[in-house]
Amino acid sequence: MYVRQLKVERKLSIAASRLALDGQAKAKMKVKTKAKAKSKKNLKSLKATVTPMWSQSPAGLSHAYAHSKPRMAEMKAPRKVPQKMLEDKDSNQYKILQQTILSNLECFQFLQQPEEAESFLLLHHNSPVKRKLLNVAAYNIVMRSWAKKGCLHRINQLFSMLQSVGLRPDLDSYAAELECLGRDESSTKAVQRCVQRLKNDGFHVDDLFQKCLFEEDEKEKVLRAIRMIQPNYQLPPPPSPETCQSALLRDFYSREKIPSYPKLDFSAQELRERFQQQLKMELNNAITIESVEATKPLTPQAIKARKLLATLRSQWHKSVLQSLQKSKHNMSKVNTMSGYNILYPYLCLLPDEEYVGIMLQVLDTLSPQGESLAILAKELGSKIYNRYITQRKLRSRQLEKVQEVYEDYIHLLAKDSQPNEYLPREYWEKLVAEAGFGPSLNFKDCSWPYMLLLRLGMHLLEILVQAVKVPRNILNPRLESKLIPVLYHVYSFRSSWQVGLIKPHPIFSQIVSDASETMLTFNSFVMPMLCPPVPWTSPHFGAFVLNDTKLMRYVDGAIQHQVLLEQCPQVNLHPVLDALNQLGNCAWKINQPVLDIIISIFNDKGNEKLDIPPPISEAPRPPVAPSNSSAWNKSQKHELLLCKKKAAEMHSLRMDALYKLSIANYVRDKVFWFPHSIDFRGRTYPCPPYFNHLGNDVTRAILLFAEGRPLGPKGLDWLKIHLINLTGLKKKNALQERLEYANEIMEEILDSADHPLTGRKWWMKADEPWQALACCMEIAKASRSPDPAAYVSHFPVHQDGSCNGLQHYAALGRDLIGAVSVNLMPCNVPQDVYSVVAQQVEEFRKKDAQQGVKIAQVLQGFISRKVVKQTVMTVVYGVTRYGGRLQMEKRLKEIDDFPEEYLWDASHYLVKQVFSVIKEMFSATRDIQNWLTESAKLIAQSGQTVEWVTPLGLPIVQPYYRARSTVLNCNMQNLSVKSSNSDQKPDTVKQKNAFPPNFIHSLDSTHMMLTALHCLRQGLTFVSVHDCYWTHALTVDVMNQICRQQFVALHSEKILQDLSEFMLKKYCSPGRETKALWQKKLMEQLSNVPKTGDFNLKKVMESTYFFS
Amino acid sequence: PAEGCEDDTESRVPKIPRNAETNLRLNIYFFPPSGPGVLTRTLLNAGVRVVALESHSAFLPNLQSLENRLDGQLKVIYGDFFRLDPLITGPVKPPAVCSEKLFESMGVAAVPWRADVPVKIFGILPQKKERNTLWRLLFALYECSSIYRYGRVELNVFISEKEYKVLTAKPAEVRAYQALSVLWQVGCEIQLLHMVSISYQLTWLIDLFFFQWLPNDHLCLIRLTPRKNLFTGGMKAKNSATFIFMVKQCLAKPRSRLIDRLNSWSLYNGRKLLRELEIPENAETVNLYPEDYRRLFEALQSSSVFTESWFHDEVLESIRNINF
Repeated sequence: MYVRQLKVERKLSIAASRLALDGQAKAKMKVKTKAKAKSKKNLKSLKATVTPMWSQSPAGLSHAYAHSKPRMAEMKAPRKVPQKMLEDKDSNQYKILQQTILSNLECFQFLQQPEEAESFLLLHHNSPVKRKLLNVAAYNIVMRSWAKKGCLHRINQLFSMLQSVGLRPDLDSYAAELECLGRDESSTKAVQRCVQRLKNDGFHVDDLFQKCLFEEDEKEKVLRAIRMIQPNYQLPPPPSPETCQSALLRDFYSREKIPSYPKLDFSAQELRERFQQQLKMELNNAITIESVEATKPLTPQAIKARKLLATLRSQWHKSVLQSLQKSKHNMSKVNTMSGYNILYPYLCLLPDEEYVGIMLQVLDTLSPQGESLAILAKELGSKIYNRYITQRKLRSRQLEKVQEVYEDYIHLLAKDSQPNEYLPREYWEKLVAEAGFGPSLNFKDCSWPYMLLLRLGMHLLEILVQAVKVPRNILNPRLESKLIPVLYHVYSFRSSWQVGLIKPHPIFSQIVSDASETMLTFNSFVMPMLCPPVPWTSPHFGAFVLNDTKLMRYVDGAIQHQVLLEQCPQVNLHPVLDALNQLGNCAWKINQPVLDIIISIFNDKGNEKLDIPPPISEAPRPPVAPSNSSAWNKSQKHELLLCKKKAAEMHSLRMDALYKLSIANYVRDKVFWFPHSIDFRGRTYPCPPYFNHLGNDVTRAILLFAEGRPLGPKGLDWLKIHLINLTGLKKKNALQERLEYANEIMEEILDSADHPLTGRKWWMKADEPWQALACCMEIAKASRSPDPAAYVSHFPVHQDGSCNGLQHYAALGRDLIGAVSVNLMPCNVPQDVYSVVAQQVEEFRKKDAQQGVKIAQVLQGFISRKVVKQTVMTVVYGVTRYGGRLQMEKRLKEIDDFPEEYLWDASHYLVKQVFSVIKEMFSATRDIQNWLTESAKLIAQSGQTVEWVTPLGLPIVQPYYRARSTVLNCNMQNLSVKSSNSDQKPDTVKQKNAFPPNFIHSLDSTHMMLTALHCLRQGLTFVSVHDCYWTHALTVDVMNQICRQQFVALHSEKILQDLSEFMLKKYCSPGRETKALWQKKLMEQLSNVPKTGDFNLKKVMESTYFFS
Repeated sequence: PAEGCEDDTESRVPKIPRNAETNLRLNIYFFPPSGPGVLTRTLLNAGVRVVALESHSAFLPNLQSLENRLDGQLKVIYGDFFRLDPLITGPVKPPAVCSEKLFESMGVAAVPWRADVPVKIFGILPQKKERNTLWRLLFALYECSSIYRYGRVELNVFISEKEYKVLTAKPAEVRAYQALSVLWQVGCEIQLLHMVSISYQLTWLIDLFFFQWLPNDHLCLIRLTPRKNLFTGGMKAKNSATFIFMVKQCLAKPRSRLIDRLNSWSLYNGRKLLRELEIPENAETVNLYPEDYRRLFEALQSSSVFTESWFHDEVLESIRNINF
């Protein structure tokens, strides 16, 4: 399940250290979702995450919770800025304040209110303290606003203001002045003077057209001004494209013998139509679709409730609109100079009706258990922001340009266009250059600070809570009539803090449940794309047509990744961008027969065994108890609580499945695409959060490649092997044996395919039943076709890395024994590292038991693969002895007849044994891990964050800082927002513990991207779920070969030496004056790269079970 | 061997004030997480019957040998006071203990609420579990469950000075005055019996349990005696959870106005209610006396608005968080 897996991923990326420490490691980094077993543990996260219409950024790490400290609740602009903060210009806090000012000015610019923009600027300019927050960009925005109106003298005034505070005008300042001059065609002399000043400041006229991000008609006006003095001025030619120099991709980027880019099975016209559909959806920002429950018949009660809801909604619309207008009116009356209300412009960006619409959506999606105030506030704020960005893209004509380029871009992919050897990114860049758009497609980054989003959201939420009311007696006419709020605000108390929740009144929940409405509204970025994604060409341009998508997803409020990506030479990012484009260009379609079976079970009673969540009506009912709850005894209350908890869990699971299936059902007849982005280690993820190929067994089973390929001579065999892999049987057997087994049980397979719900149901016993069923059906179709080799299959076949983290470690350290146990060495049968470790531990135990060690005797018969598995797996991710012991204790507790009094001793003993076995098997691995950990510790202790660059050139920084919380004062409740600030000291423990796993993940993502790019050159369809690679049955062999080649190539690089050199340069460069003690120590540590073993890496090429 | 260990510490034992010792009848004491019978000694020397709860099996043998020598004055039970009456269903495994078993083995029967104190309990709350335990005891007190099923059990415990200040905080002391203050003050008479500076007198104790104490902080020995009149008026063991919930909600943001809270819950005509209770309309929740909260609750209870609103669902849900 996506959410669940996201949780695991998130834990890894954000809190890998904690994961290791507390041993909570749900160590399945792989996305084999044994959903049933794990569902319970992760329900909490589900509950939090399963809110529809949620933002793209998956990791809501900024915890916001109620703050009990009393503060005056006020919503004024931050007026008193601590002096100290202003002096440290690099501090995050400073940047956030600066960003807030810029977004405010941009709002005024958007609203075409130069006077307001200027007075806001003056408010800061005239105060010696606040003035320090202003940069040239702030003045430029005001200049541009005046330029639109042709007010030259205002611009001149601003220039002198700049001068008075000692700031130098930049290109954008001159662009604004020239635009203004071009607009009213004033004297050539003025233009000449301006150009002269521009040159005096060290700029060139050409720079204007190469660097400025022009919007609307700005470029034309500037050009006109320039041509007033140089009538023959020609636009500078676009810079020639650069080529990535990475050794790993020399062949890939070499201009010789490039095959043409693979075509899609669509004509240009068809692609154009699909683009228009996608554009339409994104322009609306949200889309309402019918849920899969819509097929159920409607009861009279539901009809009545729906009518009631409709009436209520129209009343609420009116009252919310009124409240909003009233609050805006009150704000507008506040004297601008005395206490400027920063929220006011943000409430003017959209028509009032749109704000109301967005606010009322909260009511439609709020679960009966309620939702945290902070989450709701952020959601509301983000929605307003997204809407505003859409409007800005329209206004600035950015969308128009994107549209124009996309229309041409289609020719790269359309089957009726000329073959073409460009990569999507290269082709897009070429088209942009040809159209003379310069850099202006790169929309100016104007994201709102996280605090601002929250503040805006809180304000809207307060209005909503106050304005939406319902008559108390609406369901029970006997009660006296009185209007009561539909939403109420309560605190939920955790051991040391309190969380503010917004909950719907039970009356409202009752009406909603009676109405059982079947329309679902999603943000447009939740849906898969209906046309090929816009190729990534920079860290903030790509993926969706309109929706703001960032290349790297990160924690709310963190800006360090973005800064790092912008600072690095853009050519270094090409491999990553190209790999993402390749993954995103894979076209998908729905496996309709499987989807229909799933929906039929879903709409019936669900099936927990098959991971189809049952409806709430199937929830356990509490025992009938006295109607007056105060008369209940403790156990009755307890039972009721358990029932409620179960119902809440079922609700969130059900909703999650409902969203996925409904989205799948909506695109059932369409071809669709998943644009991809990366996390900060470079691991790739599809952008749409609910329905994608990273999802659980159910979701994966309904996805097929849109492109079909004949099975070829070996394809059917691969399908059969894949089926056996999905069952989880025959794990220890050779491929040939798995194939033979499949042939033996062919009858069962065909029975499953033909009578999935009425036959012998062999498929239901598989580890991944739904994918197994889909595979059975494919095998049935293929084997019954007259020529199976010619049968056109859309079915993805998976190849899975066996314990991929350890594979990378073993390869890094060239550990021979380790390499054998994780299948880097060719073997006749697959090796299972967990069994090997378990056997070895058992050996030790026997010896100890003979020597009379009590605990070794107690443990007789209890050591198994299962007991050691989690710990071995998480060793890769840096689990400590402490965490390892906890894991062991958990496993032993699961064994019924294990004596409880020995738990502590036994787990302690076991973890010691497992660690020493691993140390023996992967001797270099442990050294490398220690080296990484120790280096990270020293770096973090010196007050810096750990940074590195992947072999593909992606810069990485670990975003772990000592959290500091800021209190956001709001009327309803104070929110304490924890944010990881780059001006904070790094969190040493996290920096240290998370470095080894993050580093390994940066390597596995590199391996995946290399494989993806080389598969592209071979014309293969390729997608991945981290260390699980998918392709057509026909091309499994080729993919396997590429996968091994690239693994060998990657690890033939001097990865650790390169890392050491990079870090020495970064942290110990001789330029720094004083060599502190820490620096000497760090230098020694970093220079001392661990020695490696003598495993011959080339052997991987012949290893069948490396990925299988 | 036990003797030696205890003699070592004898000289530094905190003196239990005379009045605390005089009328002791029967005492339970507990030491977290394990204890070298310092208090035991003191109590035994005072000649009272003592039941010792020992949570760590390693310390049991010593205590048991003492038990055998003392001819019935001391009774030792393997159990952890902080795992008293766990909510988990199924059999209670030691060192978790069930109060029913505990009282049965002590031979103490339940007495009516208004009767005299049936048992006195002595102990130290380790700082890590302090707050947690205070909450658990509070819920037990209001529900008349666990130890309070047997009557107004008197607690004599060492707690940190910080927590003592919270328990006895007065309205308007913005930081200290919390839900815990209101609820304990309504429920119990709180007496400070003794205060020891941790810095020197109890260094041996600090080493054992209190790693995180601030320097110059004190340990306070306080006595919590449940009030005889707790369950009069509208307050009953059955509905007291609502009272606790209400107080917690009110004081979650101490500077919020009471009227806003009442209105947002849509419980009642807030303005009218405040007028009846003679509480100023602009009162902030931090300014209400414990007694005011009690009156507020009783007024709402008698108008039976609680039962017909969402409030009682919320109260039920909040119970989940009681047993952390």
